[in-house]
Amino acid sequence: MLEVDALRKSFYGTLAVDDVSFRVESGEILGFLGPNGAGKTTTMRMITGFLEPNAGRVTVDGIDAAQKPREARARIGYLPETLALYPEMRVREYVKFRAELCGVPRRETKARVEDALATCFVDDVASKPIGNLSKGYRQRVGLAAALVHAPQVLVLDEPTVGLDPRQIVKVRDLIRDLKKDHTILLSTHILPEVELVCDRVVIIDRGKIVATGTPETLRQQLTQAPGLAVAIQGEVPDADGILRRLPGVVRAARIGAGGETRVLLEAERGADLREAVFRECVARGWTLLELAPRQATLEDVFVRLLATRDAEEGPGGEGLPAAVEEPGAGEAKP
Amino acid sequence: MKALFAILKREFLAYFFSPLAYVVLTAFLFINGYVFYAILLSLNSPETPRQELMALFFKNVFYWIFMMLVSSIVAMRLVSEERKSGSIEALLTAPVGEGTVIAGKFLGGLTFFLFLWLPTVLYPVALSRYGRIDFGPIASSYLGIALFGALFIAAGTFASALTKNQIIAAIVSFVMILALFLAGVFRELVTDPKLREGLGYLNLIEHMDDFARGLVDTRRVVYVVSAVVFFLFLATKALQGNKGK
Repeated sequence: MLEVDALRKSFYGTLAVDDVSFRVESGEILGFLGPNGAGKTTTMRMITGFLEPNAGRVTVDGIDAAQKPREARARIGYLPETLALYPEMRVREYVKFRAELCGVPRRETKARVEDALATCFVDDVASKPIGNLSKGYRQRVGLAAALVHAPQVLVLDEPTVGLDPRQIVKVRDLIRDLKKDHTILLSTHILPEVELVCDRVVIIDRGKIVATGTPETLRQQLTQAPGLAVAIQGEVPDADGILRRLPGVVRAARIGAGGETRVLLEAERGADLREAVFRECVARGWTLLELAPRQATLEDVFVRLLATRDAEEGPGGEGLPAAVEEPGAGEAKP
Repeated sequence: MKALFAILKREFLAYFFSPLAYVVLTAFLFINGYVFYAILLSLNSPETPRQELMALFFKNVFYWIFMMLVSSIVAMRLVSEERKSGSIEALLTAPVGEGTVIAGKFLGGLTFFLFLWLPTVLYPVALSRYGRIDFGPIASSYLGIALFGALFIAAGTFASALTKNQIIAAIVSFVMILALFLAGVFRELVTDPKLREGLGYLNLIEHMDDFARGLVDTRRVVYVVSAVVFFLFLATKALQGNKGK
């Protein structure tokens, strides 16, 4: 169990982490999500004792990290974001070094080291120097080193960054597997990762927590009712304007794409737009090619949350983007 | 204790993976060997007064240059390298105190420094084949090397904890060591008798001359050991200071 209470940290007068509180229960993977520079790494460094917070408290398994720093650290396995290992050391040698450093009893050292190497699938490179390994392997060596003293809590800072897709899948599987015996806090700026791996999400932006919940509840709470994607044959320049006027439509965005017009609609909560859209198209003589419900993704939630904050903070923000903007759909004109 | 030994071992072995270590080792042996040879030659000439060869070996100017320069170079990477690469993050988030980290690194550096001197043990052993050698003063000389080595490596560890840049660490360390060394020499320029006496205690050349003569004065040992502890304390504070930012 890991508890973070009202953590605050400023660097040279700039507030990097402002009043961050959350709790990670045993056997849970908490995703710590935020854009680059949001304060994820700073928060994690305070949890692991690399940085001292200006205010607030970190409790690891009931132990106050400020009062008993060494005991708290003994219960944490940490994979830093900028993973720097000693390149001249061999993999097994390094994991053994970490075991000795973390006070693993001598009798158990050998077994624990082999266990950690096997768990992280690095036993095949155990006698290679770390400097000769690929990034994916090094990441897993770092994970093995974080695991070797059997900590209750794992703090993983961007564990999949810089890996190729195959390695990402491997590392994610590994993390899901580790959930059985560990409490895991995982930071990422990759949204699908959160939906794939995490049980709960804390979204942080500019040092403040902006939302907390399971990926599903966040999606439900923070988006309007599911939207619709409408495709109409031919170029219909004012399609979005017309559909916007239908009752129940909150927002409409048009994407012109080669020979057809796509409109993304966002509906009021509980409203079913399908019939109204169909009748409107028939009345205007448009050929309806596609009418598909669209579940908002966590990405929408994220973009929307951050955009809302930008807008609240006055000019300079670019205003609200369409909440149903399709990922990768190119330009959407609101 | 186990963590301390783990850090010591890692630091000591890490030297052998860096080309710098071999360059230092080679240069050190080459020049030391030449100095030994030169002393041998000069003692062979009839007009030189009779002296102990090994005592000269530990008293000459090269000895001090080596002690000061080599210890700066040996110690410069101890903390700086890890701060630069970022591996310090994993080290300091392990359940070990900063004091243990500093002590382990210091001992690793000192072990390597003493390792550099190890081949010179052959000189008196070789000499003993051709004449009678009094091993007492030689043992106390090596004690002197260990003590001053510890002092200089401790200063170097502190300098290394201050910066990410190894070159800056080496320069800062060398300046600190030189200041310690010169404090005793400056005595000659001071007129105030109290200060003169005080600086006398810091005179490293005199300390080493005593050791080379086989004289082990506990005051000198206490001075060096407390200075080592002081520098390691400063280094620990420097490392802890980084937690604020």
